[in-house]
Amino acid sequence: MPEKKTKKKPVKKTEETPNKQLSPEEIVTYFKDKFNTKIKSVEIKKRATGSKKKEFVNIWMKIDKSIFKNFIEHLCNLTYPHLAVCSGNDLGNQIELVYSFSIYYGKHLQEISLNVGVEVPKSKPEIETICDWIPGALITEREKQEMLGIKIIGIPDNRRLFLPDDFPKNVYPWRKDEQTKKEIEKLYKNLNEGVKKK
Amino acid sequence: MSRITKTTYQLPIGPIHPALKEPVMFKFEIDGEKIVDVDVELGHVHRAIEWTGMRRNPIQIIYLAERICGICSFVHPMAYCRAVENACNIQVPERADYLRVVHGEIERIASHLLWAGVAAHEIGFDTVLFLTWEMREKVLDLIEYLTGNRVTKAILMIGGVRRDIKPENIPKIKETLEYFKKNYKKLSHVFLDDKTFKMRSQGCGILTYEDALRLCAVGPTTRASGVKKDVRADQPYAAYSDLDVDYMTPDKLTGEINGDVYDRIIVRLLEVKQSIDLIERAIDQMPTGDIVSEPKIPKLLNYIKKTAGEGIGRDEAPRGEVIHYIKFDGVNEQPFTWKVRASTYANILPWIPMLKGQQIADISIVAASTDPCMSCTNRVTIIDKNKKYMLDKEQLHKLSIEKTRRLMR
Amino acid sequence: MVKGLSKSFKKSLWVFHCNSGSCNGCDIEIIAALCPRYDLERFGIKLVGTPRHADALLVTGPVTRQQAERVKRVYEQMPDPKVVIAIGNCGNTGDVFYESYNLVGPLQEVLPVDIHVIGCPPRPENIIHAVAKAWTKLETLEGK
Repeated sequence: MPEKKTKKKPVKKTEETPNKQLSPEEIVTYFKDKFNTKIKSVEIKKRATGSKKKEFVNIWMKIDKSIFKNFIEHLCNLTYPHLAVCSGNDLGNQIELVYSFSIYYGKHLQEISLNVGVEVPKSKPEIETICDWIPGALITEREKQEMLGIKIIGIPDNRRLFLPDDFPKNVYPWRKDEQTKKEIEKLYKNLNEGVKKK
Repeated sequence: MSRITKTTYQLPIGPIHPALKEPVMFKFEIDGEKIVDVDVELGHVHRAIEWTGMRRNPIQIIYLAERICGICSFVHPMAYCRAVENACNIQVPERADYLRVVHGEIERIASHLLWAGVAAHEIGFDTVLFLTWEMREKVLDLIEYLTGNRVTKAILMIGGVRRDIKPENIPKIKETLEYFKKNYKKLSHVFLDDKTFKMRSQGCGILTYEDALRLCAVGPTTRASGVKKDVRADQPYAAYSDLDVDYMTPDKLTGEINGDVYDRIIVRLLEVKQSIDLIERAIDQMPTGDIVSEPKIPKLLNYIKKTAGEGIGRDEAPRGEVIHYIKFDGVNEQPFTWKVRASTYANILPWIPMLKGQQIADISIVAASTDPCMSCTNRVTIIDKNKKYMLDKEQLHKLSIEKTRRLMR
Repeated sequence: MVKGLSKSFKKSLWVFHCNSGSCNGCDIEIIAALCPRYDLERFGIKLVGTPRHADALLVTGPVTRQQAERVKRVYEQMPDPKVVIAIGNCGNTGDVFYESYNLVGPLQEVLPVDIHVIGCPPRPENIIHAVAKAWTKLETLEGK
């Protein structure tokens, strides 16, 4: 693997974190205190399951692209998160990336899911990497690069992940514009037709 | 002269494998017998599932999600259904929550027994492979009795489950659980008390606590290193919040945490015991009621078509955390975006620190200990300056068995 | 039992299994067919580690673009006479993956298939039946 020496940021063990566990509303205030208007919208959803109706909490936030890296740093200072996955939506002129984190794992039934949405314009689809804070993000970032055409600045490993090497270079399967659809039609195959012929 | 002795060889291990599982390509850099660097190439099983899913309606996607992986064929539809229920605000009845727990745990037992057989086969004990897979057949009989098929069960529906467990089915479930309780001692004796297993697996393939946190590892791989992550115990979902699930870390049995292959064996065996216990309690506590929130499918599809929203669904597969993300735009029936992240993709990066410094003969057991839902190795080509010679999987497997015989002497 | 099997009980059949991008469901049923419950080994059928020793090729999965070349190479390395068995719905009609940009068609467009086994996944009994049929076909091929 091509190695780029990146400085490893320190990881705080969850038991050592001096702050007590914050409630969802307090977490939102923690971020709003630092970033104010750059946080575009916040939604806290709670749902109950099972007979005892215990609730789980999902926080959905939409933030501005300019504060993205600082946001991640601020989150790692609160408690080291677990990055589950990064999903992408093609919204026409913008591409929205939704990073799904989960924090406060390790304590019974206290985990909170935090989903952060960042919009990048399609004319200049670039975003910074978070691999220096969370090295486990490498695989999901590589996948976004090849499937949506986002350029991740500073990623340690630039190669394709899932698509074969002879797949055409500027075609991004998850985009929904007309040009991508035409290119995919060339590669598309319907297996049932092969069977009906014979 | 010193330059020649310090040359490292590049070892590509290509995708087709004579035994189980999906193909993946490894590239090792070796110095003598020790591994210096590892590189993984994925993508050989890329069937464009998420792209296909954006052209189907929500019910058809359940059957597509089931065939993402045949071994964990309950967890993908489960996470998908939870994502849709969270996005569209569909409430699941309580009895359905308990039924989902029962099916999920039965599948966990089947998957861990499968893994135990494969791990024993990699070390060289084929008899244990046949023993564990024979026990697994009993579980598959139970699954067939309850759902109709051994693998790919199609038991889930958005808003609940499709089939109920009636009172006349319960004696068969209890009979299978009794069989397991009797044979659990035999299983743990074979794996945990055997000297050769200990020698081969202790101190091998270590993943430290720091690395496990940083690389976002999931499942028994990360619990064996001491990180307490388990979606069943962290977040309330299905009926797990009523049943009080505990994190299974190796110090519950041995008192210390090393993060090696032996610890992962311990975690999985403890989880089998936990599953047997959970199934019993779920059956005893199951409330009566509906099994699905909306039995008429066209009405359900119409409702989903009109709702706009996004949601995530997480689930604890036998291999780790599975997460699905879905977004509906309120106009079409097809989802706007569907994203799947299976648990093995989060466990690939930890392979790199685990394999560095190990010997070639240990590759198969270390890779198998993380229970990948894809596997590797067929032909190993060693490129040595002028000569090229091939080692196939038989010889690689033989290397692993020879090491065991050497240790036994 | 397939007709003619007892007469052609001359030698044992060695089988090589190749995964061309499947979900592992069919692969598990193949391994389950070798275990004590269904026991293929009582017929002398063995799973080998290299195609050069094999008589029959079991292929599972819809053929992905990356694997198409490799499956062909494996087929060419097998010595004659040989049979190819396509296991599972994916290799036959595509099953749920019938449309995609990364799949290269049902298996019969890549290799000449002799026996099709359908099911998702097919039961181990079906797989044993298919291998037994392959046996008789091999014997007739050898006779030529």
